[in-house]
Amino acid sequence: MTSNYNFAFLDENTKRMLRRALLKAVAIPGYQVPFGSREMPLPYGWGTGGIQLTAALLGPDDVLKVIDQGADDTTNAVNIRRFFARVAGVATTERTIEASVIQTRHRIPETPLREDQILVFQVPEPEPLRTLEPREAETRTLHALADYGLMHVKLYEDIAQYGHIATSYDYPVLVDGRFLTSPSPIPKFDNPKLDHSPALMLFGAGREKRLYAIPPYTRVESLAFEDHPFEIQRWEHQCELCGADESYLDEVVVDDLGSRMFVCSDTDYCGQRRAEQAA
Amino acid sequence: MMLAAFAHPVFDSQRNFRELLQAMARPAVPRLVPTPAAAPAPILPATMAVLLTLCDADTALWLQQPNEEVASHLRFHAGVRLVQEPADADFALITEPSSMPPLARFAHGELRYPDRSASLIVQVEGFDGNAGRRFAGPGINDVEQLAIAGLPAEFWQQRAAMSAQLPLGVDLIFISGERMVALPRTTRVLED
Repeated sequence: MTSNYNFAFLDENTKRMLRRALLKAVAIPGYQVPFGSREMPLPYGWGTGGIQLTAALLGPDDVLKVIDQGADDTTNAVNIRRFFARVAGVATTERTIEASVIQTRHRIPETPLREDQILVFQVPEPEPLRTLEPREAETRTLHALADYGLMHVKLYEDIAQYGHIATSYDYPVLVDGRFLTSPSPIPKFDNPKLDHSPALMLFGAGREKRLYAIPPYTRVESLAFEDHPFEIQRWEHQCELCGADESYLDEVVVDDLGSRMFVCSDTDYCGQRRAEQAA
Repeated sequence: MMLAAFAHPVFDSQRNFRELLQAMARPAVPRLVPTPAAAPAPILPATMAVLLTLCDADTALWLQQPNEEVASHLRFHAGVRLVQEPADADFALITEPSSMPPLARFAHGELRYPDRSASLIVQVEGFDGNAGRRFAGPGINDVEQLAIAGLPAEFWQQRAAMSAQLPLGVDLIFISGERMVALPRTTRVLED
C-alpha cells in the first residue's frame, strides 16, 4: 500500500460529501442525487463514478471484488482492483461469496448476493430519459411529475417496429413504484436480480455527477405492457466450459476461421462450477 | 478543557458511515454506533459520532438546545455552520423530542430536488423491537416492528401528513444509548 495518499485516495471532505449524498440516495430510492464528482487518475468512462462510491465505502477490513461484464480478469476490472489494493491496502478477491464490496461494470453476479454485501455499479448515463429528452431541466421536471409516458411510447414503438420490445440492455425500471431509473447497461437478463435484492445496490456516474441507490428488499419493476410482458434473454446453447444453461452467455470468436463458442460471462460462477465438476 | 473527537478520524468515520448506510438501507432495525465520540451534554457520544461522520463546513446544523460548549466543540471539530432556523438546516439535532418543532418546519426538498431536505438526528429514550408500530417499505423484508420511546404524541401524525408529499420529506436517525435506528421518508407505518 502506498502511503502518499489519504486512505482510499479521496480526501475526507470529498468522502463526507459522497456519504451524505449516498444516505439521501438510499432514502429516496431511484432518485439521482447530484454530487461533486472529482477528477480521478483514470478518464471518465472507466468507472470513475463507481470508484468514487467504492472509495467512500471502503474500510481496512473490506474485501473488494471488481468485475467488468462479469469477468474479473479484464483490463478495467484488474486496474480498479489494483488501484484500491494500492491506495487502500484492502484485500481483493475474485470470489463473489468472499467479497464485502463488489464494484461492477454492466453485470450482476450469477451467485446470489447476501445482506452483508454491497454492489456498486459503474454508470455511463444515469438518466433513463436522456436519449428521449436531452434537456436536464426537462427530465428533472418529468421525474418530479412522475411523467414517464415518453418511455412507454419508446417501448411501444419498439413493438410497432419489431414486434417485440427490442431494448436488451439498460432496460428501464421503476423503483418502489416512483422513480424511473436506469439499471446501468446491464443486460435485461439481470433485471430480475434488482427486485427485492438482499444486498444494497449503489450506482455512480462520474462524468454525469449523479449517484443513486436501490435499497435492499425494494420493489423494482421492469417496464412492460400487459400484452407484451417483460422477458429476459434465452439461449439455445449451454456454456461450453461448465455446461450452465441458466447463466448469461457471451459468444466468443475462438480462431481466424470464425469458429465461435458460448461461455458464461460470469467468470467466477463458471470457474466454481468447473471446480465442482472436477472434484 | 475541550473534549477530543475521533481517535482515528479516517477509520472511525468510515466505520460509523457503513453502519449508518446499513441503518438507512434497513429501516426500523437498531444497530450499534461502532465508534462513539466524547461529547458535551446534552449530546450523546453516539450522536456526536454521527455528527462528526457527516457534518463539515459544507453543512448547516440546527441545534434544539444550543449551548456555548456544544457550539464551540462542533465548530472546532467539524467546522460546521450553526443556523438559527430549522428550515435552513441540512441536519437538525433534537435532544429533547417532547418539545421538538413540528416536522413541517424543516426543509422537505423541492419536487425537482427532493434531496435538498433535512436529516433529523433525534435522541430518544429507548427502542423495543418486540412492541410498537409495524413498518414496511424499501429496505424492509416483509415487516419490522419497533417502539421508539420518548417521542411526542403528535409526531406520528406529523410524519403521516408528510408521507403524503413523497418523494419530499425529512429523514430521521434516532439515537438511544449506543444504538441508532433510521427511518427514511419512504418507510410506511402500517395501520393496525
